[in-house]
Amino acid sequence: MSEYKPKLVCFSCKFSWGYLTDEETISSTTENWVPVICTGKIDATHMLDAFRSGADGVLILGCPEGDCHYQDGNYEAKKRVHLIRRLLESVGIEGERIRIELSLDPEGTRIPDLVEEMRNELARLGPPKSILAAEEAPQETARARGGK
Amino acid sequence: MTKPKVAICWLGGCGGCDEAVVDINEVLLRVAAAVDLVLWPVALDYKYESVKAMKKDEIVLSVVNGHVRNSEQQEIAELLREKSQLVLAFGACACLGGTPGLANLATKQDIFDWVYRDAPTVVNPNGHYPQAVSRVNGKELTLPELHGRVYALDDVIDVDYYLPGCPPPAYSIMYALSAVLENKLPPKGSTLAPHRALCDSCKRNQSKPDRMSIREIKRIHEVEADPDACFLTQGIICLGPATRDGCGEACMNINMPCRGCFGPVEGVEDGGAKFISTMASILDAESNEEVAGIIDQFIDPVGYLYRFSLPAAMLQKRRARNRVDTKEV
Ligand code: SF4
Ligand code: SF4
Repeated sequence: MSEYKPKLVCFSCKFSWGYLTDEETISSTTENWVPVICTGKIDATHMLDAFRSGADGVLILGCPEGDCHYQDGNYEAKKRVHLIRRLLESVGIEGERIRIELSLDPEGTRIPDLVEEMRNELARLGPPKSILAAEEAPQETARARGGK
Repeated sequence: MTKPKVAICWLGGCGGCDEAVVDINEVLLRVAAAVDLVLWPVALDYKYESVKAMKKDEIVLSVVNGHVRNSEQQEIAELLREKSQLVLAFGACACLGGTPGLANLATKQDIFDWVYRDAPTVVNPNGHYPQAVSRVNGKELTLPELHGRVYALDDVIDVDYYLPGCPPPAYSIMYALSAVLENKLPPKGSTLAPHRALCDSCKRNQSKPDRMSIREIKRIHEVEADPDACFLTQGIICLGPATRDGCGEACMNINMPCRGCFGPVEGVEDGGAKFISTMASILDAESNEEVAGIIDQFIDPVGYLYRFSLPAAMLQKRRARNRVDTKEV
């Protein structure tokens, strides 16, 4: 299990993170990096979708407190993250698997570092252990196992 | 002209959905006169064997309620699918997994241990657990095998239409039946209920201030709720903003907040996630501590947000990962 390499999805706001560097450069160093126009656009659905798609953690990088280009998108995102945490915890997934950092980094040099830092934390936690019952049962159809 | 064949069947249901069909009262007599009921285990004595003997698509409509939790329910679902032109998922259990879907918060082993060993009323000194196959006096006895979790109907078979509710209200049942009999059905895959959210028709909506904000979360049994004011403005969790309209507001009318039995609004996959975004927007708190303080009052989030829909929730569908994918990165 020491080889376990966690998967992380990182959303970042284009107004404060990496706007002086072209996106390809950041993408080439940071896997599953999703630049967005405002963290307020990251709905709870997107956060859960990342986990459904196999992410072990989600990192959201937004504008500094009180400095959202669209007034309060970062504040909305922060509150969503708190709620998603509470939900994750209620199915046995550690809340710290979703994090939001509100700060400024025009060059985007900290993006890979923050991702790496969180990845290390996730590696320590190991794979998420949801209490939602496992799907395996000998007689179940392929359709049931694969979901919709 | 031969009458169209219709089947009504329960899988893992409580009987409430069958009762709801009976509750359409004398209309049921007209339906019974217009169709040939070929299966309705709760009310009539027909056999699965006679359904098995039918040709493919011989049944025009199968109305199926209840979730799928064991091999027998799955077998019946597959049989009805094969013999039916249309399958209607009837009620929250068939559409989304329903309240029994909350059993997915425990494993099959946990459930067996509790029911056959640990519950205080159990006396089982020899530790007998039900077996799918057992031998008695040289004979083989079989029981349906319990699946690892609860499934919604469309996890197991193709479903043509959905009628939500726990149970669906009488008028929506009549609407669905007449749409089929008169061939006025919307596109396959549709949910036979309004597209908008419950808030859009709720009388309490007018009581909402321009800017909603809540600073505490209360549970309905802890307060005396104002019967005219929006529950959310009172800090009581009401799933109306994220729940499909069409229930007839049975809960609202007895001063109970919406608990989401009609499932998510049109185009939304996960009603719980949608509600989280709504709720976040009305939480009136600045610092992390303040936000966390309010959210701590949100007791049992998974139970609240997915009371009727856990088997269909995004978190339930987490893709099983191959643990040996370390080489990938
Ligand atoms: S949807 Fe509600 S009424 Fe229908 S079977 Fe399920 S629990 Fe019972
Ligand atoms: S939140 Fe509930 S009480 Fe308020 S308007 Fe919507 S459905 Fe009605």
